[in-house]
Amino acid sequence: MLDIIIFLVLLALGYGFGRWAEKKHFASIIEREELLRGLLTFSGRFPPQGLGPLETVLVDGNVVISVDYFKRISAALRSLLGGRVTAYESLLERARREAILRMKQQAFDSGASHVINVKLETASISKGYGKQVGSVEVFAYGTALIPQST
Amino acid sequence: MTEYSNPQIPEGINISAEHPLKDFFLMLSAISFALVLAVLLLSMFAGQLVRFIPFSVEQTLTENLGQWQLQLPETDSPDEESAAATLPDDEQALAQSNTEKQVYNARVEAYLQQLGNHLLENSKRPLPVALHYIDSDIINAFATLGGHIVVTRGLLTILPNENSLAMVLAHEIAHVQHRDPIVALGRGLTVGLALMCITGNGDGAMAQQLLGEVNLLVGLRFSRDAETAADQAALELLLQHYGHVASADQLFQYLRRHQGDAPIEWFSTHPLHDQRIAMIDRFAAKHRLAQMETTPLPAWLQISGHSIN
Repeated sequence: MLDIIIFLVLLALGYGFGRWAEKKHFASIIEREELLRGLLTFSGRFPPQGLGPLETVLVDGNVVISVDYFKRISAALRSLLGGRVTAYESLLERARREAILRMKQQAFDSGASHVINVKLETASISKGYGKQVGSVEVFAYGTALIPQST
Repeated sequence: MTEYSNPQIPEGINISAEHPLKDFFLMLSAISFALVLAVLLLSMFAGQLVRFIPFSVEQTLTENLGQWQLQLPETDSPDEESAAATLPDDEQALAQSNTEKQVYNARVEAYLQQLGNHLLENSKRPLPVALHYIDSDIINAFATLGGHIVVTRGLLTILPNENSLAMVLAHEIAHVQHRDPIVALGRGLTVGLALMCITGNGDGAMAQQLLGEVNLLVGLRFSRDAETAADQAALELLLQHYGHVASADQLFQYLRRHQGDAPIEWFSTHPLHDQRIAMIDRFAAKHRLAQMETTPLPAWLQISGHSIN
């Protein structure tokens, strides 16, 4: 009986805080994306033509987001039934956009106008329980192009 | 530069719009439904299949347990502790009273066995039963694997005559004849094993629970249908033996009055419901005789609180 109560409390806490954090995070992501819209990012390997002399520098952004208890249970249930793991979709979306944002922020701070060759790496950090996913890491990196005024 | 641009990406294209709670409860209800269905089906199949286990296997199983040592939780057992502190004389007296007790218990057991055999006399090819007596205040009687039936001293003290005792014995005997113990155990084990497989809870907790199920030979639960069938069969046995079913409902009447009393463990294994009493009353009404003499319990049976109230 106590186990069930603990489980339900964890579930409710996970859901409450998870939703709240997610909502706040998305608002912040949208706001900052708008601020950095001027900085163009591409996955292409070569710089756009006619940019003049450039200095290149590696920029990166790294983010780790934890799975909340509700999402974990929800995903576990989904693993029995199959289908879209909707619980993790928003989680990864947040991680991806946040990682790119941090990379762009770094590029912006170094005065870049473009970031090319942008790539993403993801990793799940398990807490030693084998199959259980603890948190997800997304790492974004690219080459920032800083225009040189000769 | 025309080919390179970062268009505004619309929000929410990578995320399902569905509310997470709705998704969660849909999945939960689907899985619960499937689980309940699977458990019900398994339990049903197990109950049917387990009947194919020969009774002799049951007997061998319980034989392998060695001495029949069902330990009911004792309410008071100061004998061992006080014995160490007493003088040798007292110890001797205690030992003597202990052997006397053993002799007496054996006599009660023989009497119960005899009564049980009498009840089965008229049955065709009955499964053999072995009756056991436990010197305990707890009011209980139960049937378990291998035809073993256990009756406690507590139960004997509340029964006014042999007829009412015969009803209890006949009820437990009927459980054995219907093979209810092995069905209950087979069902419990199958469902436990299935749940263990599904939840993957193999780290001992569930296995321990499963073992507990085996150890709980004392507390095998029979289904309500099995109880009703056992009552019916018990009344038939009683009718054959005594020619009437007077006093058959004595125990139930007593239990109804004392519902919720602590030492009555009967309730945990035999859920009481008015339907059962009504069924016995109907049967009794059908077979009412002008003269219905009840047989008293043997006088040597040292039981206190003979009156039933």
